[in-house]
This record gives sequence, C-alpha cells and structure tokens, in this order.
Amino acid sequence: MAADMRLPTIRKPVSLCSGERKDLVVPGDVITSDTGFMRGHGTYVDEDKLTASVAGEVQRVDKLICVRPLKTRFNGEVGDVVVGRITEVQQKRWKVETNSRLDSVLLLSSVNLPGGELRRRSAEDELTMRQYLLEGDLISAEVQSVFSDGALSLHTRSLKYGKLGQGVLVQLSPSLIKRQKTHFHNLPCGASIILGNNGFVWLYATPSNEEEEAGGFYTSLEPVSLSDREVISRLRNCLLALAAHKVLLYDTSVLYCYESSLQHQVKDILKPEVMEEIVMLTQQKLLEQEG
Amino acid sequence: MAGLELLSDQGYRLDGRKATELRKVQARMGVFAQADGSAYLEQGNTKALAVVYGPHEMRGSRSRTLHDRAVINCQYSMATFSTAERKRRPHGDRKSTEMSLHLKQTFEAAVMTQLYPRSQIDIYVKILQSDGGNYSVCVNAATLAVIDAGIPMRDYVCACTVGFVDETPLADLCYAEESGGVSSLALALLPRGGQIALLQMDARLHQDHLETLIEAAMTACKGVSKVLDQVVRQHLEEVSMLTGE
Amino acid sequence: MATVKVSEAEKVYILHGIRDDLRVDGRGCEDYRHVEIETDVVSNTDGSAKVTLGYTAVLVGIKADIGKPKPMVPNEGYLEFFVDCSANATPEFEGRGGEELGTELSNTLYKVFNNKHSVDLKSLCISAGEHCWVLYVDVLLLQCDGNLYDAISIAIKAALFNTKIPRVHISADEEGGKEIELSDDPYDCMRLDVENVPCIVTLCKVGHRHVVDVTLQEKACSVASLIISVTHKGTITCTRKVGGGSLDPESIFEMTEAGKRVGKALHAPLMALLQQEESLGKKRQKVGFLG
Repeated sequence: MAADMRLPTIRKPVSLCSGERKDLVVPGDVITSDTGFMRGHGTYVDEDKLTASVAGEVQRVDKLICVRPLKTRFNGEVGDVVVGRITEVQQKRWKVETNSRLDSVLLLSSVNLPGGELRRRSAEDELTMRQYLLEGDLISAEVQSVFSDGALSLHTRSLKYGKLGQGVLVQLSPSLIKRQKTHFHNLPCGASIILGNNGFVWLYATPSNEEEEAGGFYTSLEPVSLSDREVISRLRNCLLALAAHKVLLYDTSVLYCYESSLQHQVKDILKPEVMEEIVMLTQQKLLEQEG
Repeated sequence: MAGLELLSDQGYRLDGRKATELRKVQARMGVFAQADGSAYLEQGNTKALAVVYGPHEMRGSRSRTLHDRAVINCQYSMATFSTAERKRRPHGDRKSTEMSLHLKQTFEAAVMTQLYPRSQIDIYVKILQSDGGNYSVCVNAATLAVIDAGIPMRDYVCACTVGFVDETPLADLCYAEESGGVSSLALALLPRGGQIALLQMDARLHQDHLETLIEAAMTACKGVSKVLDQVVRQHLEEVSMLTGE
Repeated sequence: MATVKVSEAEKVYILHGIRDDLRVDGRGCEDYRHVEIETDVVSNTDGSAKVTLGYTAVLVGIKADIGKPKPMVPNEGYLEFFVDCSANATPEFEGRGGEELGTELSNTLYKVFNNKHSVDLKSLCISAGEHCWVLYVDVLLLQCDGNLYDAISIAIKAALFNTKIPRVHISADEEGGKEIELSDDPYDCMRLDVENVPCIVTLCKVGHRHVVDVTLQEKACSVASLIISVTHKGTITCTRKVGGGSLDPESIFEMTEAGKRVGKALHAPLMALLQQEESLGKKRQKVGFLG
C-alpha cells in the first residue's frame, strides 16, 4: 500500500546485440551525389545532391533511397491494419483518430451493416449512424486507400474487423510495430492481441467459439473473468516495458516478455529495475531463437 | 564605461570566457513520453524545454487551415521562477507574443511544411531558467524537439546572440552582458547552406560594424550546430542500437 | 483537466476491474504508481523540487521575498501560490486554455497549505507589522496523466523542505527606522519545519468503490472525487469534493477513512527519501532532465 518513492537515476540503455554498423543520418546530411537514385521518404534533393531531412537510418532498396526516422506519426499504406477511435460523426462518414498526421475517414459505404453486405445504403442508415458507431468507440479496420493530402480511408468489410468490445488499449509509437502477415494473434497465455500498424495495440480476452463469427457491432458487456484480467494487465505492462526500451513488437517478443515477467507481480513490472531485467531476458531469448 | 567591465584588457569576459567562446551546452532528446517530440537544452545557466505535437489534424479554427502546407503554431513562455525577479505572468505579455512570432518565422523557414497539407504542428517552448540568450536557447531546443518528432527539416536551425563591445564581437551573451547596454544581435542560421532564417537587432550600431558582427554570429552558430549534431548522433546511436532488427 | 475519450465497453471493463480490485495496470485500489522525487533542480530559486508520478510531471519553485504582513495577522508571514498549466502538457492548455484549471488548483492549494497548522508562519515574521517573508510557490505542470493534486502536494512538501531562507539582521539606522540586512553567507540560512505539511490524497468514486491515484482513463469513468489533505499524524486538515456527480454520506465517510490511511502512509517514505537525498550532500549527482 505504501507508495514506491525513489530518487531519479540516469538511465543507461539496455542492449545485448552489438549489431552491424547502421547508416545513420541527420537532417542536412548528404547521402549521395549520384543522380541515378530515386528519392523516397525522409529525403529531398538540394542542387542535385540527395540530402536527408529526418534523423534516422538510411534504407536502400534497389534504386530507391529513403530515411526512416526513429519516431514518427503513422504513415499509412494500403493494406495496413489499424486500431482507431471515432472522433466525429459526420454525414455519411466517421472521422477516426489513428495517430497519423490527419484524421482518417471511415465511409458509411465501407462498413458492414447488419442484414448482410449487399444492402444498399438508405437515407435511414445515415440518420442512425450513431447507433452503429459513436464518438469514443474503438474500431479495428484496414486501410483501403490514401487520399491525395495523406488522409487514410478505412474499411471494415470483413468479419474480423469492426467495433471493439471490452479490453485495454495501449498507445505506442508506430515505428515499434513489426510488419507481419497477420496482426491478430490469439496468445497461448489466454488473451488476444491486435497489433495495429499505427502503434495502437488492443488487448482483449479471447472470445469463446460461439461468439467468434459474430463480427459487426455487437459487444458483450459481461464481466471478464479475473484470471483473464490478470493476463491482460500483465501483457499491458510488458508492452510498456518493451516500448520503453525500444524493442520491436511482434507476437513472439510479446510472448517471451510475458513469460519472463511471470516471476514478478503484475504491478511491479513497471518499476525501472524490473523492466530492465525482463527486457534483457526477452532479448536473450530472441537472440537464442535467431541464432 | 560599461565596456571596461564587460571585456577586460586580457580579453576575459565577466564569467571568464574569451570573446568568441560559447557557454557549455548540454542537451537531451526524448524527455517526455507523451509528446511527439521533446528536448531539454542548457546553455550555461539558461535552461529551456521544448515540446512538439504533430503533425496532426487542425484543432480550433478550421479557417486557418492551409490547403498546401502545414500551419506551424508556436508558443514561448517563461516559468514564473525563471528570472531573478519573479515574473507575474508566464505568457501573454508583449515580449512573449513577439518571441512566439519569431519562433514561428524561424521554423517556417526550416521545416518542410509542404509535405503536410491541412495539418498543424505545435511547438511549445518553456524557459525554466533565464540567464541571457533566451531566444537562441529556445531555437536550439526546439530544433532538437522537431528532429525527435521525426518532422522533416531542411537542416538544423541554430541560433546565437552576439554583442559588440570595444570593437570586439562577444559570442553568446549572458544576462549581465545583455543588460549592460551592449548592442546585441540575435541570429538564426541553417548551418550547411549558410542561410539566415532570422536576424534581429535592437540597439544602435554603426553600419561599418554590422558585417563583422554578422560574421561573428554565423561562426558562433556553426559552433552551436556542431554540438547539436553530436547530441543528435549520440541519441540516434543509442536508440537504433536498441531497436536492432 | 486534459481529457481522454473512452468507449462504453472500455468503461465497463475498467469498472469491473476496480470492483475486483485489479486495475488495468495491475494495481490495487489503494496503490500509487512509481514516484520519483528530486530537489534543488532550478538554481535561482530558494527551493525547488521535481516530482514524476507515473507520466505526470510537476516542477515546483519557491522564491522568498520580503513583504508586508497581512493586517489581520501582523506577526505571521504567508505563502502565495501560482499554478501554471503549460502547453507542454497538452495542446489544450495553449494560450488561456490552462488558466481555469490553474486557478482551481491554486485556490485549493491556498486552503491546504497557507495556514498556521501546516506551515509555521510565525517563523516567517521578521518584524511584526512591518516586514515578513513571503514565499512565492510556483507550480509548473509539465506532463499530465491524472492525479495532479497528489503530485503537486508531494512536490510542494519536498520544495519546502529544500527551501533555504537567508537570515536577516535588523539594525536601527540614524533616523530611528529599521534597516534590514540579508546575511551574505550562503550557508547562513533558515530551514522550514515541514513535519506538519500535509499531503493531498485524491479519491475517485468509480462504480461503488473508491480509487487512489487515478489515470486519465479511470478518471473518465468516475463522476465524483474527494480531495483530502492529511498530515503525518493522520489528521485531516482540508476536504473538498470535486466533480459533477453526487456522493452519498456513507461513501464520503468510507473515502475519508481510506484517505486518512493512505495519506498517513505517504509521509514516512517521503521524509526518509528527502533526508537520504540531503545526506548525500555534494556527492549527489544532479539528474534534472538530463537523465
């Protein structure tokens, strides 16, 4: 019950892998004077010289050079899975906050309405938009297209997307989420996770089989069991610990971190020394798995 | 004569520095987790905190949205305990509004706003301790914060305040020198291209001396940019080592 | 307060969790988050402290000035409070956005701290009716993640402990008036007795239970809270109810008892930490924001 108070200490970064020398640049650094390359994100051309405009790592893919910054707002691409929060209900569309530079758009024509997919959108649907999604609701969706000014257009036209029910949202930086084939995982420890490309991670209790294919807009308000709750809280703290030490997040790293944290109480995981210990163990396991 | 005290015959200033010597700079990026970018910078006894939010959707007055670039919104404020005499209002007075405008001008020159149409970038700077060169320290801290947020810039923006005493330019003025009646010039520079983003002087100076003073300011800014560069590279090394793919 | 939006399902999840004494981050209803305290961070003040409670960060600076005592109490000094909700914490506080919250916070601080039971105001008197010490306490809010009152009160207590007021010598000059001389020696100073300085505990009513140290999400699920200031002996010096909802008398009684318990337990570790920091003396490595 007593509060844990302490004096601050200078944090030293925890890392095991020495890694290869990375090509790191800062704004204003000239990357190459060779005009044969195409310029990608994070670069600009200044008097025929390709110059970096952000601080980060240079990535070369064939003739394309781009610089990936360490931390940035979400730059969505078609096919990315995102978790977002509804901020506004407008006529025939919802505005969704997805940690990107402009709010994303979810058109009424891009959602599954009850009654099947092929129903035409009637005037009645426009008026009852609030019954489907309200301000503050969370959804999981996929990026359908990108507008010319950079805003994203989302869709939830598949049963695995839609309104999210009871669970915990963790907001992290998009650069920490690893791109994978699937972003929906049912972890063996008893909870499920959606790793949104935009840095929003959703943790929830694995639904039992009958509810699996419900999709759409029904959300259960039944209390979640205590054991599931503990698993979800532990996962949340592990995610924050991994993010604080800038470890890339994907299902394996999260799972290893969970396993390494089992010896500690859930609320102790966020103490600095415990975080360091758990992250070191996780990194060790990940290295062993690769090597 | 004020000049006698500010620069001794051996060439030492009030705090023991030489005429072209800068104060010690210490900085740290990524100080706050909740903001998109943040940085803390100390130049001698002047300490500033800069925080960047954005780019994000335009809040408040939608009418100010620009269709082809981002709007940069700056606010400069001082902590009430930052000066020797306690300040009654942190911001809202004329000086702070003027500084906010200057910061906005400076960063509009460096940040590549055309990449973010219809969005807004907020830069907030807070002075925690004031000992001269407030504007310069703010610009330097804000540059680090903008880089931390991953917002593209053409180049660093480095700033320095220089003064003119006894035919000698003094680089990086402290409060005692600024209030000692020295003609001071504040300069914000993009070091690689040598382009000036902002130039401000509010004292009398003979035009023959102007060029020397600007040269001295540019050299001082280049010195500052070296230090900032080191800070950014070190931060990059630390963080990218951890992410190890 | 900076607000976050929470969906209905998330609210239900949080409510059920608190009912079962397992919050989203694994804490119990009466647990505090990790606290870090450091004093003497700003050099041109007479006392300062920086406190981080979870993500909430607060910086307090105290300046001592000579002023005229208030007419009703001629042999006492007094404290002046000013809370600056800076835009650093959230863009909502830009311009005059943070003024309302700042005024509310400083009014409560006046009630809690500026009385003779909390601070020995008589020791701030120099010559009765003519001169006294006025302590200007400036609070700067740097990051906001809920529970501002608690963080601010811990910071104020730490800053008051750190405050060094120069000693004065009163001498009579030729015309019979009094002349005040401040001692030149930086070590010849007066320290304040902070034994009786209270700490504020905020209890929020969520569902049927009350919770200590809420995050912004939990705050969005509660309608009313009770602010209690408790001294190290367990005496309550000030109570205030905030929020738009209503509380019934039994809850208020329960919450007061819980607040007393929790508040009393805060003082001992805080004083121990402050003494420890003081004993490190010159060897202490100042971290400030460079950590």
